[in-house]
Amino acid sequence: MSANRVAAAAVIAVAAVLFALTFGFEKLPVGLAGGFGAEAFPRLVLGVIAGLAVLLFVAGPATEPQAPIPRMVYFTAASLLVFMALVPLAGMLGAMFLFLVGLGTLWGERRAWLILLIAASVMAAIWGVFVKGFAIQLPQGLFS
Amino acid sequence: MDAFLAGMALLLDPKILLVVFAGTLLGIVVGALPGISGSTTTALLLPFTITMGPVPAIAFLGAIYCAANFGGSITAILVNSPGDPSASATAFDGYPMALKGEAGRALGMSAVASAIGGIFSVVVLIFAAPLLARMAYSFGPPEYFALAVFGLSMVAMSGGDSALKNLIAGAFGVMLATVGQDITTGVERYTFGIYSFTDGIEFIPVLIGLFALTELLEQAAQLGKRTALAKLGAVRLPSWADVRKCSKAIGISSALGTFIGVLPALGATTAAMIAYVETKRWSNNKEEFGKGAIEGVAGPEAANNAAVGGAMVPTLALGIPGSTTTAIILAGLIVQGVRPGPHLFTEQPLLLYAVFSSMLLANLLYLVIGLAFAKLFARITLIPPQFLWPAVFVLSVIGAYAPNQAIAEVWVAIAFGFIGFFMRRFGFSPAPLVIGLVLGKLVEETLKQSLIIFDLSWGGFLNRPIALTLFGLTALFLLAPVVMRRLSRRA
Repeated sequence: MSANRVAAAAVIAVAAVLFALTFGFEKLPVGLAGGFGAEAFPRLVLGVIAGLAVLLFVAGPATEPQAPIPRMVYFTAASLLVFMALVPLAGMLGAMFLFLVGLGTLWGERRAWLILLIAASVMAAIWGVFVKGFAIQLPQGLFS
Repeated sequence: MDAFLAGMALLLDPKILLVVFAGTLLGIVVGALPGISGSTTTALLLPFTITMGPVPAIAFLGAIYCAANFGGSITAILVNSPGDPSASATAFDGYPMALKGEAGRALGMSAVASAIGGIFSVVVLIFAAPLLARMAYSFGPPEYFALAVFGLSMVAMSGGDSALKNLIAGAFGVMLATVGQDITTGVERYTFGIYSFTDGIEFIPVLIGLFALTELLEQAAQLGKRTALAKLGAVRLPSWADVRKCSKAIGISSALGTFIGVLPALGATTAAMIAYVETKRWSNNKEEFGKGAIEGVAGPEAANNAAVGGAMVPTLALGIPGSTTTAIILAGLIVQGVRPGPHLFTEQPLLLYAVFSSMLLANLLYLVIGLAFAKLFARITLIPPQFLWPAVFVLSVIGAYAPNQAIAEVWVAIAFGFIGFFMRRFGFSPAPLVIGLVLGKLVEETLKQSLIIFDLSWGGFLNRPIALTLFGLTALFLLAPVVMRRLSRRA
């Protein structure tokens, strides 16, 4: 199946799920809803989306087969999730420092002194501007 | 006139001067960095403008928007990799000029053409926006609904690889705007029990995710690509002969860019591409195009900067974004508690004229700064991605977290980073989704109000000539490409 058809099928599936969810919205008496309930507009838009997706499936132009996603994208995506997992432990500033060092290393930087220097400089700027300057309270961690 | 002079006088305020200068400088730098566009930067810095107040905030974002288009031309000419998508057409002739050792000549023309296009469009903005706003005074909910639908239909032409995909992305943006309590019944929709979704999905984390974090993942897919910088001598003002040669290209492209910018959802990239084609069509030196024609630099650069002022016309006068970046600026105004539209011209004229005058200043500033420091900006493009992008992520996290100091917003930004990445993989541009998200509430509100006015009868729209005209234009824009393709196949 072409990439366009896969995309169209995915869009129809997501629209169907969102449409089904509208049946779970709280029901109000017709008079209170003013004849146009909370579910009406989402259903209208989802109908339009489904119609467009069917058109894409039937008549959409063919696209080149997708090149596989490089492994580095998965590692980078995982590093974002690891960052979020680190926030409760190391605090946001600590997690940011570890992220700067970790992703820089993952992306191929091998000069440890340079990467530590840049990470420390970025963190000093973040602390100075946002914590001290804008008085933003960043989450603290178990170990910070 | 008094309001305009008062707006100009605001530029004497050191704080405003400073934010316009900082915005211009930042705009050139980020415009020059491949991957970080004006849209990404405005999305990324939007949360930090909240504490500035409406006038400096919009002056700052407007200056970034003006200068990023010019900044993009620096990399387009020297590296053949446009720093900002709007400079894509500039690379067609700018890079061949650089290879011939004429990078300084190309950059000089780029700066001058950009400034002329930008200033032309701001002048048009100053006169056209109040006129459009005056016309819109007679608009009721049905007309606004039709206008918003027209704006959404224009996303079909806003980039990406298919009009259908753009429309689907735009409609999903409208769906996103339905998250939270329904405005008339108070019923919660798609909140999944998450408290922070009750008031709807915040613009800022979505914008940061779709632009900055999606680009981070894109960059991860492109690691290892080396950037080679063409040799750059002194950047100089164009010679009289070059000015004469390019005057027609600059004139046509400035007008074309402004017009395309005014059309909802079509921004600088479309304007530059069309201007390149038109510049070539009207040129006496067609055979030079693609090999280093200076008109091929002047035309797109005048057009992409002219589109900036043009895009601000519907944004400020009607509250309908003229481009992706103005959709973000519109979100910035809404976050500041300012809802753009015709009433803004009577309620807050000073704010508007401060925006106009700061945009004029930004256009003059990047001409001076661009000519003087192009060499320095060119070197910025060589910052290694392993230092740049982790720092962009850190800034994105702060940007998503800061407005509500909520970690949930960081999760939303990361989720939209993943969504944006997969959208791009399947040829869906995130830009229509943003425009849909910004317009979504307006579409639903005005539709509901219209149906109440019409006693729940859709036929009521038939008695509203302006709304009917706008629906007609929507149908025309959507169907014209299909009909033209059929006709050309038969011929």
